[in-house]
Amino acid sequence: MKVLLRSVVVIAVSLVASMSATAAPPALPGDSVYQVEASVVDQEGRAYAWQALRGRPQVVSMFYAHCHLMCPLIIASGKSLQNSLDPHQRDGLGFVSISLDPARDTPAALLDVAQVHRLDDHWRLLRPRDADVRTLAAALGIRYRAQPDGTFNHTSVLILLDRDGRIVARSEVTDLTPDPRFTATVREYLTGASASGSD
Amino acid sequence: MLAASIFAIVLLAGTSPAASDGFVAIAGGPFQSTVRYDGDDGKRSVAAFAIASHAVTVREFDGFVRTHPQWARDRVPSLLADSGYLANWPSADADAPVTHVSWFAADAYCKSFDARLPDWAEWEYVAAADATRTDARSDVAWRGRTFQDGTPRAMDARSGANANFHGVSGMHGATWEWVGDYATLMGDADKRGAENGDRLQFCGATGLSFANRDDYATLKRVALLSAMEPRSTLGNLGFRCARSTP
Repeated sequence: MKVLLRSVVVIAVSLVASMSATAAPPALPGDSVYQVEASVVDQEGRAYAWQALRGRPQVVSMFYAHCHLMCPLIIASGKSLQNSLDPHQRDGLGFVSISLDPARDTPAALLDVAQVHRLDDHWRLLRPRDADVRTLAAALGIRYRAQPDGTFNHTSVLILLDRDGRIVARSEVTDLTPDPRFTATVREYLTGASASGSD
Repeated sequence: MLAASIFAIVLLAGTSPAASDGFVAIAGGPFQSTVRYDGDDGKRSVAAFAIASHAVTVREFDGFVRTHPQWARDRVPSLLADSGYLANWPSADADAPVTHVSWFAADAYCKSFDARLPDWAEWEYVAAADATRTDARSDVAWRGRTFQDGTPRAMDARSGANANFHGVSGMHGATWEWVGDYATLMGDADKRGAENGDRLQFCGATGLSFANRDDYATLKRVALLSAMEPRSTLGNLGFRCARSTP
């Protein structure tokens, strides 16, 4: 019964969603990371579906706010990448950092990170639902493990997604600045994406 | 075709055991895991939780696919399952544990019942029990029998096999089972990302090792899971769900 009720709700929600769109969006590619369902809240406290990020290219990573070594590196590396772009490219690229630690990374804690690192409004720091952290990590090929002391071991990467959520490139973060090859790939991709029209 | 119709009728007529029921409370406690992370001592504290008494069956998974058609074999996106997904349907035995399911599918199934996949430590904790002991692993004869896990000769594969001390069945059956944190079960030598030139390593981690090299059955299980991608499917890999105790 509960299941039936749930599916009715799901159908109702998706009907509303599809009606509110003026035109049906093209089908999501099968290998899009937006194929997984997940709910997130950003640093401003706005709640939305993970799939709502579809529509423009994004550089995605996973981190946690209480991390003192690698995570500031991940954010610094993303910022450095952003600063290396020309203004037009910068406007077309979003940055998404997803928390591995939703228990502690409240929107307020994430807003604090955004302010400390002076992140502009292209950045979204996301707190997933507890149950969705693993699902998002699996979709992104990011591995992590909670340690007994409250820290996390995790893969430190920046991942470039196209506007439909397909992985274009990924780069391991080892420094305050990203791998120059990754930066070059992002630039090339953004130039190609804007040249290929504005759909 | 006939087989397919009969299968469908059996599925419709079968009394579908609600997957939201059938969970067994596990008190938890200190536990010596066979798996060590980052050179730790393998000592874990397993918090109280609940685990399904049986692996999810073909019939139960079919019910999920009917209410969540995006998980049908011909609709599932390539991110979420490989081409082997549900490849054995519709000839599968409806009462058998479902196999040919990806981690993503198992994850979505459990979430649909407000449950989750068990963690490895939880799974290992429950699997350490035999019918009369919470931890039978020091019994060499019992441990020897676990070497058949994942094969038709597994001790819990025969019909009428006893539930274990916790009232949980099939932990040492003919099918392996996904765990929620299976992606942590990987050592340094992992090269899954090699084709992309990525090393996919943890920061600061030195990988995992085994507390007890005699625990061959566990080693085999971990080796198998660690070779999987979350979209991978296997003919003898299924799952069961668990729930945290509030």
